[in-house]
Amino acid sequence: MNIDEVKERAGPREFNPGDDLPEEYRKAATRMIQFHANSEIMGAYLERPFIRQSPSIDRKLAFSAKVQDEIGHGQFLYRAAESLGIKTREEMLDELANGKGKFLNCFHYPMENWAEIPMIAFFVDGAAMRRQATLKRTSWEPYAHAMDKICFEEGFHVKHGESIMRELATGSKKEQEMLQDAFDEWWPRIIQFFGPSDDKSTHHDFAAEVGLKTMTNDELRNAFLNQYLPKARKYNLEIPDEPRIRENDDGTFEIEEDDLDWDEFFTIAKNDYEPGVGQIEGRANAQEAVEWVRDAIEGDDQPTAGHTPTAAD
Amino acid sequence: MIWEVFRQKKTGEYHTHCGNVHAPDREMAKLFAQIQHGRRKPTNSLWVVPQEEVGEVDAEETSFGGTTDKSYRWSTAYNIEPPAKEVEESANEQAEAERQRGDS
Amino acid sequence: MSSTAAAPVEDLDDDQREAVQHLLYRLGDDEFVAAERYTEWQVRAPTLESDLALSNIAQDELGHARLWYDLLQDFGYDEPDLLFERDPETFRHSTMTELPFEEGDWSDAIVRTYLYDVAEDLRLEALEDSSYGPIRDRVGKIQSEEDYHLEHAESWLDRLASDDDGQRRLQEAVDRLFPYALTLFEPTDPDVEARIVDNEYRTEPLDELGEEWLSNVVPKLESYGLDVPISEDGTITSADLPPEIGRDGNHMDDWESLYDDFTQTYRDLGRTEATTLMEDPS
Repeated sequence: MNIDEVKERAGPREFNPGDDLPEEYRKAATRMIQFHANSEIMGAYLERPFIRQSPSIDRKLAFSAKVQDEIGHGQFLYRAAESLGIKTREEMLDELANGKGKFLNCFHYPMENWAEIPMIAFFVDGAAMRRQATLKRTSWEPYAHAMDKICFEEGFHVKHGESIMRELATGSKKEQEMLQDAFDEWWPRIIQFFGPSDDKSTHHDFAAEVGLKTMTNDELRNAFLNQYLPKARKYNLEIPDEPRIRENDDGTFEIEEDDLDWDEFFTIAKNDYEPGVGQIEGRANAQEAVEWVRDAIEGDDQPTAGHTPTAAD
Repeated sequence: MIWEVFRQKKTGEYHTHCGNVHAPDREMAKLFAQIQHGRRKPTNSLWVVPQEEVGEVDAEETSFGGTTDKSYRWSTAYNIEPPAKEVEESANEQAEAERQRGDS
Repeated sequence: MSSTAAAPVEDLDDDQREAVQHLLYRLGDDEFVAAERYTEWQVRAPTLESDLALSNIAQDELGHARLWYDLLQDFGYDEPDLLFERDPETFRHSTMTELPFEEGDWSDAIVRTYLYDVAEDLRLEALEDSSYGPIRDRVGKIQSEEDYHLEHAESWLDRLASDDDGQRRLQEAVDRLFPYALTLFEPTDPDVEARIVDNEYRTEPLDELGEEWLSNVVPKLESYGLDVPISEDGTITSADLPPEIGRDGNHMDDWESLYDDFTQTYRDLGRTEATTLMEDPS
């Protein structure tokens, strides 16, 4: 199949490992899914200290289950990416370790205290869920299948995050203040989750033409703000003055892009943001420390890739 | 030699188990399977897998999902209304899955 | 969390109450602290699949701790009393469960879960006919999750032992952990322990459980070519034990930092209650 045929046929779940797809498609899909998988791992890495720091047994159980789910999502997604035949899971995890693998901006920032949890576990997860729901209609079938499973599990995550936020928002004055502080700090990063507006995004056009992406950054950001601005207000969070957000009559939003720190965003995108580098290295060390185990068990087990479909797809 | 056969109805859907065929090797299994399992029912793709390569673990030997209360894994444990549309869809799928777990 | 209406706490005299509580603290604290350590492997295990598996074991053990602590609530304690506001020197867990993991030391995780799960199997068996109904009622639910734990540990032992590097690391883990594992069978207090057995809250004494455990784990480890650090005749003396046995409240410094970590949010937020998400266990 050449790229024109791909564009013509592109539709929900249209392509699978049995199709002879041009390298351009397979590379674009790999880049997108690898980014997604990496983000699951780094999100889990960011949240894992709070399994221990959860202030009750039930919260601890929920946190452990959530982090476990995210590693499971990484497993689904690396497999969906691997089945494109460009990179093995091991290569992708190695790239994540050596700083070449990219992941979501929000997971580069360290998290210090419990009041920051809802920023990730409610807003960022909510934003991710918004995007993921649209990816059930992506053109790479194994990716769409991964989305079915991920979206199934993810609902618990967002509700768990909101439950923690509600508890803080209705808690002591100190808790409410900590929550507002966290929100002030994280809100611009959360807005940046969807990336720059469409005219600045580099990868969108091709990904849309071949059906990998089904909605634009702007559409997704609008949909997110529609759902989550009212939620923030409901919990008495004061929306920071910047970035300025204008609500149009048709229910869409316009963000004053100049109010956001795009230098920081693109520094992060290159994996050069200092706190994030520490997180990448921390995870890399952990991965390296257990390499001996993989060597001990994986002697004759090569991951399957390329055009042979397997049941794991 | 027995081969398990999995059929996908349409592009984008899952391969689900639909039966098996006796065949001496993979090539013959594919030939037989497309007639036995693909000639009448709508079929976009078939997988054939040697039966002996299929590992099984069933409810007799393990308790899937555990035996102690793990409701913290389910969105139904969190009393939040109303969630975003896609969160609600997931919550509904989970509620359904939890009902089915209860039935089994 | 509070337990069943039929809890027979009122039928116990003071000595009996103390005995049941000691038994429940041993059980709950072991599970809780072991699970805390197991969760350290989340996002750090050798592969994504093994990460999920060990996370699940951690959640199982934490769920078991929840079941045992729930029975202590019948004695008038709430979750903050039992965990977040409890004096760390009153925790009764074995010191094996509080040992931190060295980064990457998967062989420790495997040997530790193996030694622990065999012990847990035996002690659950000795609780099946407990004269204290609420304990007896919860044993079955826990046992059916333990089967997976043991199978998991033994499968890994098998894989690692067949690799030279794995074998060497397993041996180091056995050498380090074995003395601490022996504390699993130490009494919280000899007098109270005698009452636990006399009243048949647990139907086997600790030394018999310990012997059974040895006759189980020693040949198994030896079958993998591992040396077990005990004397030729297999007898255990107090010289084989580490300085801190945990059961009596005497712990290592690692416990203090673990305690500080898991209570940190609770203290920082000035909480006085612990949120529950699930219904009372039964």
